[in-house]
Amino acid sequence: MKLRTIALNTFGIFLRDRLLIIFGALFLCVILLMMTPLLTLKGRTTASNMEGMQAYVLQLVAMIMYMVSGAGSLLAAWAAADAVHTEMKSGTILAVMARPVKRWEFMLGKYLGVLLLMACYVVAMVGLSFLLAWIGGQRVQSTLWVLFVYPMVRYAIYASLAALVATVAHPVITWAFTLLLGVGATIVAPGPDEPVSWIGRWIKTALYYVLPSTNFLSEDRFLVIKHAALRQTHWGEHAITLLYGLDYALVLLLLAMWSFHYRSLKRD
Amino acid sequence: MTATIEFNRVSKTYRRLLGGMRVPALNDVSFQVMPGEVCGFLGPNGAGKTTSISILMGFIYADWGRIRVLGHEPGDISAKARIGFVPENFAFYKHLNAEKLLRFHARIAGVAEDRTNALIPELIAKVKLNGYEKLKIGRYSRGMVQRLGIAQSLLADPDLLVMDEPTSGLDPSGRKEVRDVILSLKASGKTIFLSSHLLAEVEQICDQVVIVNRGHLVRTGAMQQLLATGDQVEILASGVNEEVQLLLQERGATVETLPSGVRILVAGAYKREIVERLWAAGFDVLSLRPVKGSLEELYMTLVGGGGAA
Repeated sequence: MKLRTIALNTFGIFLRDRLLIIFGALFLCVILLMMTPLLTLKGRTTASNMEGMQAYVLQLVAMIMYMVSGAGSLLAAWAAADAVHTEMKSGTILAVMARPVKRWEFMLGKYLGVLLLMACYVVAMVGLSFLLAWIGGQRVQSTLWVLFVYPMVRYAIYASLAALVATVAHPVITWAFTLLLGVGATIVAPGPDEPVSWIGRWIKTALYYVLPSTNFLSEDRFLVIKHAALRQTHWGEHAITLLYGLDYALVLLLLAMWSFHYRSLKRD
Repeated sequence: MTATIEFNRVSKTYRRLLGGMRVPALNDVSFQVMPGEVCGFLGPNGAGKTTSISILMGFIYADWGRIRVLGHEPGDISAKARIGFVPENFAFYKHLNAEKLLRFHARIAGVAEDRTNALIPELIAKVKLNGYEKLKIGRYSRGMVQRLGIAQSLLADPDLLVMDEPTSGLDPSGRKEVRDVILSLKASGKTIFLSSHLLAEVEQICDQVVIVNRGHLVRTGAMQQLLATGDQVEILASGVNEEVQLLLQERGATVETLPSGVRILVAGAYKREIVERLWAAGFDVLSLRPVKGSLEELYMTLVGGGGAA
């Protein structure tokens, strides 16, 4: 009951957060702007240039999806960093923590509120995927749950990382730090350009394991927006990948709760 | 009997991470508040009042000392379930209205839903916010927010009320209403820990006083004992002629003529004899009461120029 009340209240605060409203509005504008070339391309498609146009359409759709996915991570990090900070800044935390609420309950309630916001974002994102594919004359071929669960786990990692850092730092610093770690994780992800020296390879591998390597959790691995057959994935692979993500998020969340337990609660 | 609040040699120093600056906030502070008492917590700005209350509520941790609240560690949810807290400059979710805010607090306090439904209108009426329960708190005046703060503190029928400047921002009638609420809570046997700068108010309401200054405890004790100034009594009488006044002065009494009569200050041992003589001589004795100082005088003596009261 307490967790649900705190989570729903946090979600309610997000829905009225000016910064998040501006973020949402700007994001919608960018998406609509990017859909213009998509619609133009579709209009110019003839029997002779169909193959080339389809390739353009797919490229554009993939780009928009990549952007939506990245923006989701940023949103998760910001929302988690801001959730507790807003309460500290306004002083509302004092009235709440004077109630029989444990510190970990408060932190978890806030975190669940962030996940609720991200769940709405993911639903909108999946809807957008289908819309874009439909506009591009394609079909989304994927198991639906993959499109929901993978981004949620990815955002859960970013949110818990930001929640942890936010217990000791300002939300802007937290957000920048989380962003930096995310970029770092992308850089160290295994790819064609591996370092020549063994120490370079060792450092890169170590960082890959330590940093939140969420590209591993990208739903792109299981999502194909074309007529070709969907890549078949064994359930074991899904389970291991998701467990990795959930484990990462859980460890960070527990660390955030521990850090919050020792934090002084006062109006900032 | 177990004390409701127990501070035993509590110390707290704030440290800044960068620069390593240390700001001592509390130094070896000890006091007790017993069940059913109304305790005034006084001190100038920066004396350590808010730090003490934050430690008491479990918001911050003391560096040293033993603290017990309702027999538990500060911050223990068993204790918090029995505490009502009114923070200084109440802050609430501005997007909620009074009714929704009280419901939110009732839920996290674990009050049953049907009980909440009955309690909300009752509390709103108690703090005179009827008619404003649907208005968003963001549009409330400071006084209305403060009154709502008091309403939320009473939600779970607490045994202990911790109030940090509950009347700040209220006009005189608002202050009287809050004072009446506190007095009714006192009458119902609640323990109240009240931090305030309004000394006259504290003098009227409180049984006990704790005075801190610059992080040190400067005085604690029962209000009556602290304000008592020896065994002198004050007698107010009317129509006392000069002859009798001289007789009284021979008994060591101090006589002062007032527009309403004569004020006689005399040692307690002579009070009966003097009153009987006045009655026998046909004068009216208007009042007889022990002489006591005011809390403001005591406060200024103890704290002096330490800060504004």
